[in-house]
Amino acid sequence: MWTNKCGSSIALVVALVAATFALPGRLSGQTFPVTSSDRSGGFATQWSVQVDQVDTGNLDISYSFQIAIYENLVFELKKTKQFEQVFRDGDIRAGEFSNLLVLKTTVEKYTPGSETRRAVTTVSGATKLTVRSQLLTREGKVVLERSVNGNVRFFGSNLRATHNLAHNIAKTIKQTSLSGSGQPPAILTGQL
Amino acid sequence: MSPAVTLLSNRVTPVGARSRLLVALICCGLTAAAQNSTQLKASTAFRIRVTHLVGFEDAKNNCSGALSIQNDSLQFQKTRKSGAHIKISSVRDIFLGEQSRQVGGLPLTLGEAAAPFGSGRVVSLFAHKKYDTFSFEYVDSNGGIHGAVFQLKKGQAAIVKKELIAHGVTISSFRVQSGTQGATEVGHVDK
Repeated sequence: MWTNKCGSSIALVVALVAATFALPGRLSGQTFPVTSSDRSGGFATQWSVQVDQVDTGNLDISYSFQIAIYENLVFELKKTKQFEQVFRDGDIRAGEFSNLLVLKTTVEKYTPGSETRRAVTTVSGATKLTVRSQLLTREGKVVLERSVNGNVRFFGSNLRATHNLAHNIAKTIKQTSLSGSGQPPAILTGQL
Repeated sequence: MSPAVTLLSNRVTPVGARSRLLVALICCGLTAAAQNSTQLKASTAFRIRVTHLVGFEDAKNNCSGALSIQNDSLQFQKTRKSGAHIKISSVRDIFLGEQSRQVGGLPLTLGEAAAPFGSGRVVSLFAHKKYDTFSFEYVDSNGGIHGAVFQLKKGQAAIVKKELIAHGVTISSFRVQSGTQGATEVGHVDK
């Protein structure tokens, strides 16, 4: 009799413990499948990103600059390893990913510099680029919005500004994802 | 037929055959020569020295090599053996530009910095050279857009553009409009 009671109580405790562990996992799995991997790192680990071509607006920027910003962005984002996949603009494979963020880059300010002037005067001739970077969800919700700069002040060619800019954008995204708790839909705005 | 006529006809026939043979040989010779020149023309593919700045497949940035057009592909080869290539048909747009860059690289920059009484700055004034930039946009097999920028000696970018257009690259109307941007790009020359 005593053995029966003891056995049933043990079985009850085991069942309760099992339910306690199993239920939250199932619930989170039903509501937001991404959260399980959220704990492993930043939000970007389970998100993919598509890099859109650079929008220059009405600014007069050479096409080589646009290409260089775009290509350097793809390279730098891949280098951060924050995203599962980094897609280029127009890539049909991006449509297969549900957790896709779109990176839009709009040039806000551009000061064409001169390598010669930089070399001769040191203080003038800097190439300056300021862009607005927006990370959007597929539905168009802004996840991250930052104004980022990329300059060449002393050494290097003018195109080096695009490399610095892409590096800064990738760094901003990386820092944001690491500081975030894993929920991308929090609008973060600011300037780097 | 009289024996004299038979003799004549016997004599004439070998001469006619010889002349026919000679004509045939000359024709063959001419055809072969023409064929050879065509083959030679096909084998002398377009090839030009460039510096890859950014974006062309998996080629390293800022590395010198040769850009060549062979059959239906555009190749960039750092060495004779290895190289990256794309299909010419995947090229969508071409833009030409111009830029001025310092020659001598890092050694000259350091030398200028180390020169006494700021004399290195005077050297900087003359240590610059104008280059052409050749930028183009192409798509990969998944539809992803790529861009590549090459640096060439002054005046050579137009030649590459001409070659690519001759190989069937078409520039979309929208891009033709923004071709003025390419012209503007020329305006972005460092002075």
